[in-house]
Amino acid sequence: RLYQVEYAMEAISHAGTVIGILSKDGIVLAAERQATSALLEQSVGSEKIYEMNDNVVAGVAGLTADANILINQSRMIAQRYLLRYGSPIPVEQLVRRLCDLKQGYTQFGGLRPFGVSFLCAGWDSAFGFQLYQSDPAGNYSSWKAACIGENSGNAQSILKQEYKDDEADERAAGTSMEMDDAMRLACLVLSKTIDTAKLTSEKLEFATITLKCGKPHIDVLSSAEIDGVLKKYEAVLKPSDS
Amino acid sequence: MEYNGSAVVAMVGKNCVAIATDKRLGQRALTVDMGFEKVAPVTDNIYIGLAGLATDVMTLHDRFRMRVNLYKHREERTIEPKTFSNMVSHMLYERRFGPYFVEPVIAGLEKNGQPFICSMDLIGCINYADDFVVAGTAADNLFGMCESLWEPDLGPEELFETVSQAMLNAVDRDSMSGWGAVVHILTPEGVITRELKGRMD
Repeated sequence: RLYQVEYAMEAISHAGTVIGILSKDGIVLAAERQATSALLEQSVGSEKIYEMNDNVVAGVAGLTADANILINQSRMIAQRYLLRYGSPIPVEQLVRRLCDLKQGYTQFGGLRPFGVSFLCAGWDSAFGFQLYQSDPAGNYSSWKAACIGENSGNAQSILKQEYKDDEADERAAGTSMEMDDAMRLACLVLSKTIDTAKLTSEKLEFATITLKCGKPHIDVLSSAEIDGVLKKYEAVLKPSDS
Repeated sequence: MEYNGSAVVAMVGKNCVAIATDKRLGQRALTVDMGFEKVAPVTDNIYIGLAGLATDVMTLHDRFRMRVNLYKHREERTIEPKTFSNMVSHMLYERRFGPYFVEPVIAGLEKNGQPFICSMDLIGCINYADDFVVAGTAADNLFGMCESLWEPDLGPEELFETVSQAMLNAVDRDSMSGWGAVVHILTPEGVITRELKGRMD
């Protein structure tokens, strides 16, 4: 057993939740901010969701300081690939390179592993929309809906129930859910796993990746836009069955 | 620097800038391509044209794209023209003793709408100008044309006419450049790109 890796994963299980849901025309990432204080200046910069590349956006759970190092590395990896091959890095390759880096810290150097898990949502022309989850050990896997951080077990079971896994064609996204359904499901899961009474844009970060004119388009929602989303799906958010 | 041939010019107008290049790619006297792109958008508000050795032109365009992408993702904003030109200067000086054989010309609009142009030598010495900048094998010809034709506060359409005449007549006196030209006019509303029909020799 690699205890350091287990300790890293334990640290992540106390961090703010991040949920990712794949739909046939895009991916939604929703995250809970843990450090909230009225004094925090939160309109600038994000704590949980980062753009790695023009075609990949990631949600982070765990030690933010460790995450910043990995985010920067992944940005360099993505750009070096673009420089060398002239085309954007496929999502899985970016995730694998990042995971190889994380794995190195579990085997060499006597350094501790990174205390970060990622949910990487991206699009490439070979495989379309993909959602990957990666952990401190350097393992990664592709998901239709996934959750990391606090209450991820709870969230995962709700996702398993509610996610419409109904597309038999392997080459399609694997679901008939559209972005709207995915957003609604994300709000539902958030409302059931986050323990505050009312969800506000202060506590949340949202991002979507969709296609616009055949090119991937990442949208990290502003506070006002998040308020809009919460209002739109407020029927789902009412704590009537908590 | 004279192996491939090129002509690049940028001019300042009233709340607009123009950047134009020829389209010839040669190998000494042989013309190999008549549609070679020497100017590329860096952001919506910045265009960079590179005169000089074609392989370095292509490589540097790729390198600029990489660095501007990294800047955009880290700073969560797009790069400004002046900052970009400093970055280009730095990248060129890094190769002080084995330089890229290019002479960049940068044209853009600052965030407040202010026009910006500058040019550099192959090791990154920046020349900021408030009228026009030139580069390439037809540089001397372009200097002459611009000096006579340019005047301050030209609107987008007038600027287009001015830069087009400067380009067409300058390349006609230079064997290594020409074979058509491309002109981009940057205004706060957007970019207007036009191809010029000139002497194809």
